[in-house]
Amino acid sequence: MAIVATFAYEEDFIAAAKDLKSSGFDDISLLSPLPLEEAQEVLGLEKSPVRHFSLAGAIIGAAFGFAMCVATALVFILPTGGRAIIALPSYLVITYEMTILLGVLFTLFGFHIVSGLPAWHDKPYLESANIDRFVVVVDSTDGERTARAEAIIRGAGAEEITHMEVE
Amino acid sequence: MFDHGQPSYADVNKDVLSTMLETGPRYWMLLGTTISIAVICFFMPWLYQLFVGIGAAGMNRNAVWGTYISNFIFWIGLSHSGTLLSAVLHITNSHWRKSIYRSAEAMTLFSLMTAALFIMVHVGRVWFVHWTFPIPNPMGLWPNFRSPLMFDVMAITTYLTASSIFIYMGSVPDFAAVRDASTGLRRRLYTIFSFGWRGTAREWHTLGWAYTFFAVFVIPLAVSVHSIVSWDFALSIVPGLHHTIFAPYFVCGAIYSGTAGIVTVMYCLRKFLGFEKYIGQVHLDNLGKLLITLSLIWSYINILELFSTWFGGTSFEIEALKFRLTGFYAPLYWEMITFCAFVPLLMLWKKFRLSWNKMLVISILINIGMLTERCIMVATSLPRKFLPDAFGFYLPSWVEISITVGSFAIFATLFLIFIKWVPAVSIYEVKETLKPLRRDS
Repeated sequence: MAIVATFAYEEDFIAAAKDLKSSGFDDISLLSPLPLEEAQEVLGLEKSPVRHFSLAGAIIGAAFGFAMCVATALVFILPTGGRAIIALPSYLVITYEMTILLGVLFTLFGFHIVSGLPAWHDKPYLESANIDRFVVVVDSTDGERTARAEAIIRGAGAEEITHMEVE
Repeated sequence: MFDHGQPSYADVNKDVLSTMLETGPRYWMLLGTTISIAVICFFMPWLYQLFVGIGAAGMNRNAVWGTYISNFIFWIGLSHSGTLLSAVLHITNSHWRKSIYRSAEAMTLFSLMTAALFIMVHVGRVWFVHWTFPIPNPMGLWPNFRSPLMFDVMAITTYLTASSIFIYMGSVPDFAAVRDASTGLRRRLYTIFSFGWRGTAREWHTLGWAYTFFAVFVIPLAVSVHSIVSWDFALSIVPGLHHTIFAPYFVCGAIYSGTAGIVTVMYCLRKFLGFEKYIGQVHLDNLGKLLITLSLIWSYINILELFSTWFGGTSFEIEALKFRLTGFYAPLYWEMITFCAFVPLLMLWKKFRLSWNKMLVISILINIGMLTERCIMVATSLPRKFLPDAFGFYLPSWVEISITVGSFAIFATLFLIFIKWVPAVSIYEVKETLKPLRRDS
């Protein structure tokens, strides 16, 4: 069971999230129609692990790009205009492009891994959270904890509180 | 930032989504017209060229490149609009970009697609185009990565992939908004498109980081793409093309024409989709200032090109320069200078910069000038290399002119389809520019 609380004002929503966190409710989700830095700070989200994927992609891309140029030149040796068979200046251009290509693809992969998307199974969600409302979701099965969470949320100025089943 | 008062969050959803979900007969008529022009002017002449051979184009032994290549450069240039507005202004935290960047990114993607089509048309035997990719084949041959043309293939493929991902990922929260506002098949489709987005703090946080990294990757990529396109020319020893200034010249010209293209597209979005509330004077003013700066840089590089050729004093280069300034194509050269160096100076006056109609005319003139620049670059250099007895001449054939006209219809068609599938103005980023509703307000 999850408590789903709707707020009309951003400041109330942030206040509720802070109060819940400080009261020991760690399993909360904060839904908003736009990115809010304060909400991310409440949850302690700082540097995203996505950056590791980007770096790994860039390094692998550079290595792959350069290796591809060298390997294909050595498989079929084609001397042209007295140029070197393994021509570093030319190959750096391809290496550069492959660095970016794999960097972008790995960042995309990292985004999916870190954010947990795609996620098509049912999770507590209100359509208004994508329009103009701010929603706090608290997972709680314990009656006493539920009552405490509801008190905090109501005290912060929630517009509406509902309960939803969680899979 | 908003000319007509600040809208509420709900207004933003309603205004933007209504342009997607409500379609009148005017839209279908416009789409039908652009598709018809694209088929008649682009695909039918291309089919004709495929049947009779590449000789249908005006290219010949001396002029192995023609308007297909000029158009290719022009469209790649237009594609730099999205990168500039979306990535550079995102990194520099410029808030005014937020309501116009989505369409600029779409311009990037569709310009690139149109540019790629010109390569297909130019190569003649399009069914062999896969030979340019490093994929195993029965002949055991691999592409020659020392060739600037292969740099092009890799750069454009990377740019197309990165731009597609960039625009898609930035649209995911808005796809969720479309999902919530629709029913039936559309709802099911957008559930897939939005990956089940709920707008949790973790999702926003991850998207923010990923988007910044995409931007960081895309900026140097865009610079490299047009530099590489310039090396197609500059790495040859053809007089008029063998200049070290070409890479920055191309990149500057690309951003210049792309920004002018954005003004044209913004005008259409305001006029036909009713985005007056979100695209206002502040955008026009900032775009105008950007255009003046780019125009001055572009003019400076042109003067530098003339000076370095004159100062170098090589007879071949001087001959190429004379032909460009006074030869058959001279009227086009001076038209380019007028449209790209002098006309934009009108924007120094605020009354020009803040008038949508005047800015529309200026932006179109700039892009006519930029298309001309690419045409004369090809037509005045390649056919006239070193020895006068080997000089040739190039004039585009009707097939090339028709395909050029048709390419604009292809771009318009893709854009018209886009505005019905993707919110043309970023919903969540516009909300970021609004003052949050406070209990005491």
